[in-house]
Amino acid sequence: MGKKNTAQAPLTPAVLHILLALSTGERHGYGIMKQVLADSQGKAKMGPGTLYGSMGRMMEAGLIRESDKRVDPEMDDERRIYYELTGAGRAALEAELQRYRGVVAVAEGRLAHGH
Amino acid sequence: MATNVAGRRYRTWYAMLLRLYPRPFREQFGEGMAQTFHDLCREHRDAGRGLFGLVLWIFFETSVGIVRENTTHMSQLGRTTLRVALGALALLMVPLVASRVVEGWNWPAGTFVLVYVLFFATGMVYAAIAKKMGAWSYKAGVGVALVAGFALGWSNMVHVADSENPANLVYYSVLVVGGVGAWLARLEARGLARTLFAMAAILALIAVMLPSGAPPNLARNMAIGHGVFVALFSASGLLFRHASAPSRGY
Repeated sequence: MGKKNTAQAPLTPAVLHILLALSTGERHGYGIMKQVLADSQGKAKMGPGTLYGSMGRMMEAGLIRESDKRVDPEMDDERRIYYELTGAGRAALEAELQRYRGVVAVAEGRLAHGH
Repeated sequence: MATNVAGRRYRTWYAMLLRLYPRPFREQFGEGMAQTFHDLCREHRDAGRGLFGLVLWIFFETSVGIVRENTTHMSQLGRTTLRVALGALALLMVPLVASRVVEGWNWPAGTFVLVYVLFFATGMVYAAIAKKMGAWSYKAGVGVALVAGFALGWSNMVHVADSENPANLVYYSVLVVGGVGAWLARLEARGLARTLFAMAAILALIAVMLPSGAPPNLARNMAIGHGVFVALFSASGLLFRHASAPSRGY
Protein backbone atom coordinates (compact mmCIF):
# COMPACT_ATOMS: atom_id res chain seq x y z
CA MET A 1 0.00 0.00 0.00
CA GLY A 2 1.89 2.99 -1.22
CA LYS A 3 1.30 6.55 -0.16
CA LYS A 4 0.60 7.66 -3.70
CA ASN A 5 -2.13 5.28 -4.75
CA THR A 6 -3.95 4.72 -1.45
CA ALA A 7 -6.62 7.32 -2.10
CA GLN A 8 -7.49 5.88 -5.52
CA ALA A 9 -7.13 2.13 -5.06
CA PRO A 10 -10.00 0.10 -3.58
CA LEU A 11 -9.34 -0.60 0.10
CA THR A 12 -9.18 -4.08 1.59
CA PRO A 13 -12.14 -4.96 3.85
CA ALA A 14 -9.89 -4.83 6.94
CA VAL A 15 -8.56 -1.36 6.08
CA LEU A 16 -12.05 -0.04 5.29
CA HIS A 17 -13.40 -1.36 8.61
CA ILE A 18 -10.51 0.15 10.59
CA LEU A 19 -10.95 3.54 8.88
CA LEU A 20 -14.66 3.37 9.58
CA ALA A 21 -14.06 2.46 13.24
CA LEU A 22 -11.74 5.44 13.66
CA SER A 23 -13.98 7.87 11.76
CA THR A 24 -15.86 8.81 14.93
CA GLY A 25 -12.78 9.32 17.08
CA GLU A 26 -9.56 7.82 18.36
CA ARG A 27 -9.56 4.28 19.75
CA HIS A 28 -7.09 1.71 21.10
CA GLY A 29 -6.61 -1.70 19.44
CA TYR A 30 -9.27 -3.54 21.44
CA GLY A 31 -11.67 -0.59 20.96
CA ILE A 32 -11.14 -0.75 17.18
CA MET A 33 -11.80 -4.49 17.23
CA LYS A 34 -15.07 -4.02 19.13
CA GLN A 35 -16.18 -1.18 16.86
CA VAL A 36 -15.44 -3.22 13.71
CA LEU A 37 -17.54 -6.06 15.13
CA ALA A 38 -20.38 -3.64 15.93
CA ASP A 39 -20.20 -1.85 12.55
CA SER A 40 -20.36 -5.15 10.66
CA GLN A 41 -23.13 -6.58 12.87
CA GLY A 42 -20.74 -9.29 14.03
CA LYS A 43 -19.72 -10.38 10.51
CA ALA A 44 -16.15 -8.97 10.42
CA LYS A 45 -14.23 -10.73 13.18
CA MET A 46 -10.68 -9.48 13.25
CA GLY A 47 -7.87 -10.99 15.35
CA PRO A 48 -4.82 -9.10 16.65
CA GLY A 49 -2.64 -10.40 13.78
CA THR A 50 -4.90 -8.97 11.08
CA LEU A 51 -5.70 -5.80 13.02
CA TYR A 52 -2.15 -4.75 13.85
CA GLY A 53 -0.75 -5.97 10.51
CA SER A 54 -3.29 -3.78 8.69
CA MET A 55 -2.62 -0.87 11.05
CA GLY A 56 1.11 -1.15 10.38
CA ARG A 57 0.54 -0.81 6.65
CA MET A 58 -1.96 2.00 7.20
CA MET A 59 0.53 3.92 9.34
CA GLU A 60 3.17 3.44 6.67
CA ALA A 61 0.71 4.81 4.10
CA GLY A 62 -0.10 7.78 6.35
CA LEU A 63 -3.78 6.84 6.80
CA ILE A 64 -3.70 6.59 10.60
CA ARG A 65 -1.29 7.56 13.36
CA GLU A 66 -0.71 7.01 17.06
CA SER A 67 -2.39 9.79 19.01
CA ASP A 68 -1.85 9.15 22.68
CA LYS A 69 -1.07 6.57 25.37
CA ARG A 70 -3.45 6.72 28.28
CA VAL A 71 -5.77 4.76 30.55
CA ASP A 72 -9.23 3.86 29.22
CA PRO A 73 -11.59 4.84 32.09
CA GLU A 74 -14.07 2.13 31.03
CA MET A 75 -11.45 -0.60 31.35
CA ASP A 76 -8.57 -1.41 33.73
CA ASP A 77 -5.75 0.94 34.78
CA GLU A 78 -3.36 -0.18 32.02
CA ARG A 79 -2.27 2.58 29.65
CA ARG A 80 -3.24 1.91 26.03
CA ILE A 81 -1.99 3.35 22.75
CA TYR A 82 -4.74 5.21 20.90
CA TYR A 83 -4.89 5.60 17.13
CA GLU A 84 -6.59 8.26 15.03
CA LEU A 85 -7.31 9.02 11.37
CA THR A 86 -5.06 11.41 9.45
CA GLY A 87 -6.35 13.78 6.78
CA ALA A 88 -5.22 11.26 4.14
CA GLY A 89 -7.09 8.49 6.00
CA ARG A 90 -10.32 10.51 6.04
CA ALA A 91 -9.87 11.32 2.32
CA ALA A 92 -9.29 7.62 1.52
CA LEU A 93 -12.43 6.66 3.45
CA GLU A 94 -14.51 9.29 1.66
CA ALA A 95 -13.13 8.20 -1.75
CA GLU A 96 -13.96 4.57 -0.95
CA LEU A 97 -17.50 5.44 0.13
CA GLN A 98 -17.91 7.47 -3.07
CA ARG A 99 -16.76 4.45 -5.07
CA TYR A 100 -19.28 2.26 -3.24
CA ARG A 101 -22.06 4.79 -3.99
CA GLY A 102 -21.14 4.67 -7.68
CA VAL A 103 -21.22 0.85 -7.73
CA VAL A 104 -24.57 0.80 -5.89
CA ALA A 105 -26.04 3.38 -8.32
CA VAL A 106 -24.97 1.29 -11.34
CA ALA A 107 -26.29 -1.91 -9.77
CA GLU A 108 -29.64 -0.34 -8.82
CA GLY A 109 -30.01 1.16 -12.30
CA ARG A 110 -29.47 -2.22 -13.94
CA LEU A 111 -31.79 -4.06 -11.58
CA ALA A 112 -34.50 -1.42 -12.12
CA HIS A 113 -34.29 -1.95 -15.91
CA GLY A 114 -34.21 -5.71 -15.57
CA HIS A 115 -30.73 -6.16 -17.19
CA MET B 1 -9.36 -19.14 39.82
CA ALA B 2 -8.35 -21.92 37.45
CA THR B 3 -9.40 -19.69 34.52
CA ASN B 4 -7.21 -16.88 35.84
CA VAL B 5 -4.22 -19.21 35.99
CA ALA B 6 -4.97 -20.42 32.46
CA GLY B 7 -5.35 -16.79 31.31
CA ARG B 8 -1.93 -15.88 32.74
CA ARG B 9 -0.38 -18.92 31.12
CA TYR B 10 -1.94 -18.10 27.75
CA ARG B 11 -0.75 -14.51 28.04
CA THR B 12 2.82 -15.72 28.67
CA TRP B 13 2.64 -18.03 25.65
CA TYR B 14 1.20 -15.25 23.52
CA ALA B 15 4.06 -12.94 24.54
CA MET B 16 6.47 -15.68 23.45
CA LEU B 17 4.65 -16.04 20.13
CA LEU B 18 4.91 -12.27 19.53
CA ARG B 19 8.70 -12.58 19.71
CA LEU B 20 8.53 -14.26 16.29
CA TYR B 21 7.47 -10.99 14.64
CA PRO B 22 10.22 -8.92 12.97
CA ARG B 23 11.79 -6.66 15.60
CA PRO B 24 10.53 -3.28 14.20
CA PHE B 25 6.95 -4.59 14.09
CA ARG B 26 7.26 -6.11 17.58
CA GLU B 27 8.64 -2.87 19.02
CA GLN B 28 5.79 -0.87 17.50
CA PHE B 29 2.83 -3.15 18.14
CA GLY B 30 3.93 -5.94 20.53
CA GLU B 31 2.66 -4.23 23.68
CA GLY B 32 -0.68 -3.30 22.08
CA MET B 33 -1.16 -6.83 20.72
CA ALA B 34 -0.48 -8.39 24.12
CA GLN B 35 -2.95 -5.97 25.72
CA THR B 36 -5.59 -6.71 23.08
CA PHE B 37 -5.10 -10.44 23.63
CA HIS B 38 -5.54 -9.91 27.37
CA ASP B 39 -8.68 -7.81 26.77
CA LEU B 40 -10.22 -10.48 24.53
CA CYS B 41 -9.48 -13.21 27.09
CA ARG B 42 -11.03 -11.11 29.86
CA GLU B 43 -14.13 -10.42 27.76
CA HIS B 44 -14.61 -14.16 27.19
CA ARG B 45 -13.94 -14.98 30.83
CA ASP B 46 -16.42 -12.32 32.04
CA ALA B 47 -19.02 -13.75 29.66
CA GLY B 48 -18.48 -17.15 31.28
CA ARG B 49 -17.06 -18.68 28.11
CA GLY B 50 -14.04 -20.96 27.92
CA LEU B 51 -10.75 -19.59 26.67
CA PHE B 52 -9.37 -22.56 24.80
CA GLY B 53 -11.25 -22.03 21.51
CA LEU B 54 -10.54 -18.29 21.49
CA VAL B 55 -6.86 -18.77 22.28
CA LEU B 56 -6.50 -21.42 19.58
CA TRP B 57 -8.07 -19.08 16.99
CA ILE B 58 -5.94 -16.08 18.02
CA PHE B 59 -2.74 -18.14 18.04
CA PHE B 60 -3.51 -19.40 14.53
CA GLU B 61 -4.50 -15.95 13.27
CA THR B 62 -1.40 -14.36 14.80
CA SER B 63 0.83 -17.08 13.33
CA VAL B 64 -0.49 -16.22 9.86
CA GLY B 65 0.32 -12.57 10.61
CA ILE B 66 3.84 -13.53 11.72
CA VAL B 67 4.51 -15.35 8.44
CA ARG B 68 3.12 -12.40 6.45
CA GLU B 69 5.09 -9.74 8.33
CA ASN B 70 8.34 -11.73 8.16
CA THR B 71 7.89 -12.24 4.43
CA THR B 72 7.23 -8.51 3.95
CA HIS B 73 10.20 -7.62 6.17
CA MET B 74 12.57 -9.92 4.28
CA SER B 75 11.49 -8.60 0.88
CA GLN B 76 11.83 -5.00 2.13
CA LEU B 77 15.30 -5.83 3.47
CA GLY B 78 16.22 -7.41 0.13
CA ARG B 79 14.95 -4.37 -1.78
CA THR B 80 16.84 -1.97 0.52
CA THR B 81 20.06 -3.98 0.18
CA LEU B 82 19.73 -4.02 -3.61
CA ARG B 83 19.04 -0.26 -3.74
CA VAL B 84 22.03 0.52 -1.50
CA ALA B 85 24.29 -1.84 -3.49
CA LEU B 86 23.31 -0.12 -6.75
CA GLY B 87 23.64 3.35 -5.18
CA ALA B 88 27.12 2.48 -3.92
CA LEU B 89 28.03 1.23 -7.39
CA ALA B 90 26.81 4.50 -8.92
CA LEU B 91 28.89 6.50 -6.43
CA LEU B 92 31.90 4.31 -7.16
CA MET B 93 31.70 5.48 -10.77
CA VAL B 94 32.91 8.92 -9.63
CA PRO B 95 36.42 7.83 -8.50
CA LEU B 96 36.47 5.16 -11.22
CA VAL B 97 35.91 7.71 -13.99
CA ALA B 98 38.14 10.26 -12.24
CA SER B 99 41.00 7.76 -12.10
CA ARG B 100 40.76 7.47 -15.88
CA VAL B 101 40.79 11.19 -16.61
CA VAL B 102 42.75 12.76 -13.73
CA GLU B 103 46.48 12.48 -14.08
CA GLY B 104 48.21 10.87 -11.10
CA TRP B 105 45.05 9.21 -9.75
CA ASN B 106 46.26 5.63 -9.59
CA TRP B 107 44.22 3.72 -7.07
CA PRO B 108 44.92 -0.01 -6.90
CA ALA B 109 41.94 -2.36 -7.32
CA GLY B 110 41.92 -3.02 -3.55
CA THR B 111 41.22 0.65 -2.85
CA PHE B 112 38.17 0.62 -5.13
CA VAL B 113 36.88 -2.45 -3.31
CA LEU B 114 37.47 -0.72 0.04
CA VAL B 115 35.67 2.44 -1.16
CA TYR B 116 32.76 0.36 -2.44
CA VAL B 117 32.47 -1.46 0.90
CA LEU B 118 32.55 1.88 2.74
CA PHE B 119 29.87 3.37 0.45
CA PHE B 120 27.73 0.29 0.87
CA ALA B 121 28.18 0.19 4.67
CA THR B 122 27.36 3.91 4.97
CA GLY B 123 24.26 3.42 2.82
CA MET B 124 23.06 0.48 4.93
CA VAL B 125 23.66 2.48 8.13
CA TYR B 126 21.58 5.31 6.65
CA ALA B 127 18.78 2.90 5.68
CA ALA B 128 18.79 1.34 9.16
CA ILE B 129 18.77 4.64 11.08
CA ALA B 130 16.57 6.76 8.80
CA LYS B 131 13.59 4.41 9.14
CA LYS B 132 13.52 5.03 12.91
CA MET B 133 11.51 8.18 12.30
CA GLY B 134 9.30 9.39 9.48
CA ALA B 135 10.13 13.11 9.78
CA TRP B 136 12.01 14.50 6.76
CA SER B 137 14.29 16.50 9.06
CA TYR B 138 15.38 13.34 10.88
CA LYS B 139 16.21 11.57 7.61
CA ALA B 140 18.02 14.67 6.31
CA GLY B 141 19.92 14.95 9.62
CA VAL B 142 21.06 11.31 9.35
CA GLY B 143 22.10 11.87 5.72
CA VAL B 144 24.12 15.03 6.43
CA ALA B 145 25.77 13.49 9.52
CA LEU B 146 26.78 10.32 7.65
CA VAL B 147 28.11 12.18 4.60
CA ALA B 148 30.09 14.56 6.83
CA GLY B 149 31.36 11.70 9.03
CA PHE B 150 32.32 9.63 5.98
CA ALA B 151 34.13 12.57 4.36
CA LEU B 152 35.95 13.44 7.60
CA GLY B 153 37.02 9.83 8.17
CA TRP B 154 38.12 9.34 4.58
CA SER B 155 40.02 12.62 4.20
CA ASN B 156 41.72 12.05 7.54
CA MET B 157 42.69 8.52 6.57
CA VAL B 158 44.27 9.83 3.36
CA HIS B 159 45.96 12.67 5.26
CA VAL B 160 47.41 10.33 7.91
CA ALA B 161 48.71 8.01 5.18
CA ASP B 162 50.32 10.93 3.30
CA SER B 163 51.78 12.86 6.22
CA GLU B 164 52.47 9.87 8.52
CA ASN B 165 51.67 12.24 11.37
CA PRO B 166 49.82 10.33 14.11
CA ALA B 167 48.63 13.65 15.59
CA ASN B 168 45.98 13.65 12.87
CA LEU B 169 44.36 10.66 14.55
CA VAL B 170 42.82 13.18 16.97
CA TYR B 171 40.14 13.81 14.31
CA TYR B 172 38.84 10.29 14.85
CA SER B 173 37.81 11.39 18.34
CA VAL B 174 35.03 13.38 16.62
CA LEU B 175 33.72 10.20 15.00
CA VAL B 176 34.08 8.25 18.26
CA VAL B 177 32.01 10.91 20.05
CA GLY B 178 29.41 10.59 17.27
CA GLY B 179 29.22 6.80 17.57
CA VAL B 180 29.06 6.77 21.38
CA GLY B 181 26.58 9.67 21.43
CA ALA B 182 24.28 7.95 18.92
CA TRP B 183 24.41 4.76 20.97
CA LEU B 184 23.67 6.57 24.24
CA ALA B 185 20.84 8.55 22.59
CA ARG B 186 19.37 5.30 21.21
CA LEU B 187 19.03 7.22 17.94
CA GLU B 188 16.40 9.55 19.43
CA ALA B 189 16.35 12.92 17.63
CA ARG B 190 16.94 15.07 20.73
CA GLY B 191 20.00 13.05 21.81
CA LEU B 192 21.36 12.98 18.26
CA ALA B 193 21.04 16.77 18.07
CA ARG B 194 23.21 17.09 21.21
CA THR B 195 25.69 14.55 19.80
CA LEU B 196 26.09 16.43 16.52
CA PHE B 197 26.54 19.77 18.30
CA ALA B 198 29.19 18.10 20.51
CA MET B 199 30.97 16.80 17.39
CA ALA B 200 30.92 20.29 15.84
CA ALA B 201 32.26 21.78 19.08
CA ILE B 202 35.10 19.23 19.37
CA LEU B 203 36.10 19.81 15.75
CA ALA B 204 36.10 23.58 16.30
CA LEU B 205 38.22 23.07 19.41
CA ILE B 206 40.72 20.96 17.45
CA ALA B 207 40.90 23.70 14.79
CA VAL B 208 41.59 26.35 17.44
CA MET B 209 44.25 24.22 19.14
CA LEU B 210 46.15 23.48 15.92
CA PRO B 211 49.75 24.72 16.12
CA SER B 212 50.18 27.99 14.23
CA GLY B 213 53.01 28.55 11.78
CA ALA B 214 51.61 26.86 8.70
CA PRO B 215 52.04 28.70 5.37
CA PRO B 216 49.16 31.19 4.78
CA ASN B 217 47.65 29.20 1.90
CA LEU B 218 47.64 25.96 3.88
CA ALA B 219 46.30 27.72 6.99
CA ARG B 220 43.44 29.24 4.96
CA ASN B 221 42.57 25.89 3.35
CA MET B 222 42.63 24.16 6.73
CA ALA B 223 40.38 26.84 8.22
CA ILE B 224 37.91 26.44 5.33
CA GLY B 225 38.02 22.64 5.66
CA HIS B 226 37.36 22.74 9.40
CA GLY B 227 34.65 25.36 8.91
CA VAL B 228 32.83 23.20 6.34
CA PHE B 229 32.79 20.18 8.62
CA VAL B 230 31.72 22.24 11.66
CA ALA B 231 28.92 23.73 9.55
CA LEU B 232 27.80 20.29 8.32
CA PHE B 233 27.72 18.78 11.82
CA SER B 234 25.89 21.86 13.15
CA ALA B 235 23.37 21.70 10.29
CA SER B 236 22.75 18.05 11.06
CA GLY B 237 22.28 18.92 14.75
CA LEU B 238 19.74 21.60 13.81
CA LEU B 239 17.85 19.13 11.63
CA PHE B 240 17.68 16.64 14.50
CA ARG B 241 16.51 19.42 16.84
CA HIS B 242 13.80 20.28 14.31
CA ALA B 243 12.78 16.60 14.19
CA SER B 244 12.62 16.37 17.99
CA ALA B 245 9.94 19.08 18.28
CA PRO B 246 6.86 17.51 19.96
CA SER B 247 4.50 17.96 16.99
CA ARG B 248 6.76 16.06 14.60
CA GLY B 249 7.58 12.42 14.14
CA TYR B 250 5.09 11.18 11.55
